[in-house]
Amino acid sequence: MRNSRCRLLWLPALLVSFSLVAAACGGHDEEETSTPSATAGTGTADQTASVSGEVNISGSSTVEPISIRVAELFEDVAPDVSVNVDGPGTGDGFKLFCAGDTDISDASRQIKPAEKEDCFANGITDIVELKVAVDGIAVMTNASNDAVECLTFEQLFDLIGPDGEGTSTWAEASAGLPDAPLDLFGPGEESGTFDSFIEIVLEDLAGEAGVDATTRTDYSPSGDDNVIIQGIQSSDTSLGWVGFAFAINASGVKLLEIDGGDGCVAPTGDTIASNEYPVSRDLWIYVNADAAAANPALVAYVDFYVSDALSQAVGEVGYVPLAGAAHAETAERWHSRSLIS
Amino acid sequence: MISRLVDDKSRAAIAASIERRRVDARGLLFKVVLQSCLLITLALLAVLLVTVALDSTDQLGTRLWDFLQGTLRSRSSDESLGIHQGMYGSLWIAIIVAVLAFPIGIGAAVYLEEYAPRNRLTAFIEVNIRNLAGVPSVVYGLLGLALLLNGQIFGLDRLTGGSSALSGGITLAILVLPIVIITSGEAFRAVPMELREGAYGVGATRWEMIRTQVLPYAAPGILTGTLLSMARAIGEAAPLILVGAVTGRLGDSPGLFDVGALDDRFTALPIIITSWTAQSGRDVGFAAAAAAAIVVLLVFVLMMNSAAILLRNRFEKKRG
Repeated sequence: MRNSRCRLLWLPALLVSFSLVAAACGGHDEEETSTPSATAGTGTADQTASVSGEVNISGSSTVEPISIRVAELFEDVAPDVSVNVDGPGTGDGFKLFCAGDTDISDASRQIKPAEKEDCFANGITDIVELKVAVDGIAVMTNASNDAVECLTFEQLFDLIGPDGEGTSTWAEASAGLPDAPLDLFGPGEESGTFDSFIEIVLEDLAGEAGVDATTRTDYSPSGDDNVIIQGIQSSDTSLGWVGFAFAINASGVKLLEIDGGDGCVAPTGDTIASNEYPVSRDLWIYVNADAAAANPALVAYVDFYVSDALSQAVGEVGYVPLAGAAHAETAERWHSRSLIS
Repeated sequence: MISRLVDDKSRAAIAASIERRRVDARGLLFKVVLQSCLLITLALLAVLLVTVALDSTDQLGTRLWDFLQGTLRSRSSDESLGIHQGMYGSLWIAIIVAVLAFPIGIGAAVYLEEYAPRNRLTAFIEVNIRNLAGVPSVVYGLLGLALLLNGQIFGLDRLTGGSSALSGGITLAILVLPIVIITSGEAFRAVPMELREGAYGVGATRWEMIRTQVLPYAAPGILTGTLLSMARAIGEAAPLILVGAVTGRLGDSPGLFDVGALDDRFTALPIIITSWTAQSGRDVGFAAAAAAAIVVLLVFVLMMNSAAILLRNRFEKKRG
């Protein structure tokens, strides 16, 4: 009989152990507290407050923090709207978007023709393309390196492009540059910054030179921007590139001016917002306007996205807000539902 | 006559070899090697625990309760940053794994060990179950994606709500099923044949024998195996990413025992850890938050394991 009691005991005991674990972690079922930060009003706050529903967003991990921050600010205006944001990457995001699984697709580049055709083939034809922020890529060297102030796209191609493979000094890679050891640090292939840098700086020159549009392979790649910064700090004649928002807050590094053909421009918030600094890229969201017509929560969210809240959100997560005119154009595109064709 | 053949020199050598304290150099060396193996393991574990614990103090030391109640946020400095949504996901994944994988796995093991005939077919099945236990977890994620999200078979997606904690739990239950079958099978195999023969001897049927002798005797072993597999399920991130666990922001934050949210979008602790570690490139504070989430996950797993050990000790005492 003792044995049969054992038998009966062990399953319930297992369940009890779970509830103990659960109870120890539990007891906080109340609603999350809202952030006390100021939000920009949309002018229709009363209407917005009563909206409820769900908005699903996926796409670029670069744009992801902007969409999340906007959702956090929006939460104070429309507490009943549930916004889910994911960041698997721009390409994966468009796949979901074109399958109708998401309402908004975050993108760190514009939609490709093939992706657009995919969307249209699936009956997702009403798509609004909105520019939401600008991201600059900073090219850096060690703060103590006085020999270099400005680099041209050609020099960057020599130093970082595939033709630079195997060179160990600046002069060897590109004639006219100082004869000093070249220690290269940059993001790895999985990074959006890696792709952007190739698209903006290397692609055209690689086409002219008849080589693959990629970087040399003999540099120290890292997915962690901190590691890249540490690399730059560790060598007096280092060279590397990371997102501007990250570089501007780092110490011990010098942000180089870049000449894209119109003279040397230093990376600052203003020169990036105006696209004057050549190594900058625009960040986008793509909204399914059909879905918006059926989902007031989506309309309210995008209304809020293109309002003044956008500049606040973009600044807070470390990107460069749009200039006034560009911001106004984004809002206008949304409100007039100007579709891509 | 022997003593005469042995001269003084060799006699002295023999005497020395007998009287001298023998030093087993190789044996000693072997022991030291084994000890250093253990030390390396412990040292690595200690380094991991200490660095994670130190990193986590930024969050756990100053705002433990807020951190446990908080949600996924865009900035690490946010007052409501926390892991509540991940704890909801992980807790329910654990419960679903327990409810699904344990009865099915133990049942399959009982059949294989006690009922099934020993022939080529069962040997083949057993080999395959062992192979399944070694299949990379991502593959199970793909299975979950096809079965539970895309609804390619049986239209199960309507039941699970697509990308949901329910889908995640079922996927991980399938993942640990082979492990549960194998460990339970081992436990049944360790039951002495005499117990079974004794039960038959007093006229028990096979079912009565299994119920009153085999299951109680094997219970501690089963428990250990199943809870270890549960710990594995809770730590998995890759299959959950394929099943659509959210990494960025989850709109809802259901109460821990809110069953109604099971078919909504979800996230889990390992997913949060992965996501925050990636975010730390943009916002360094997320490194501390990720470390804090690791500590919570470790505590979660340790609590489960110690519950398993306590229960096992109880059963073993009763078994006497």
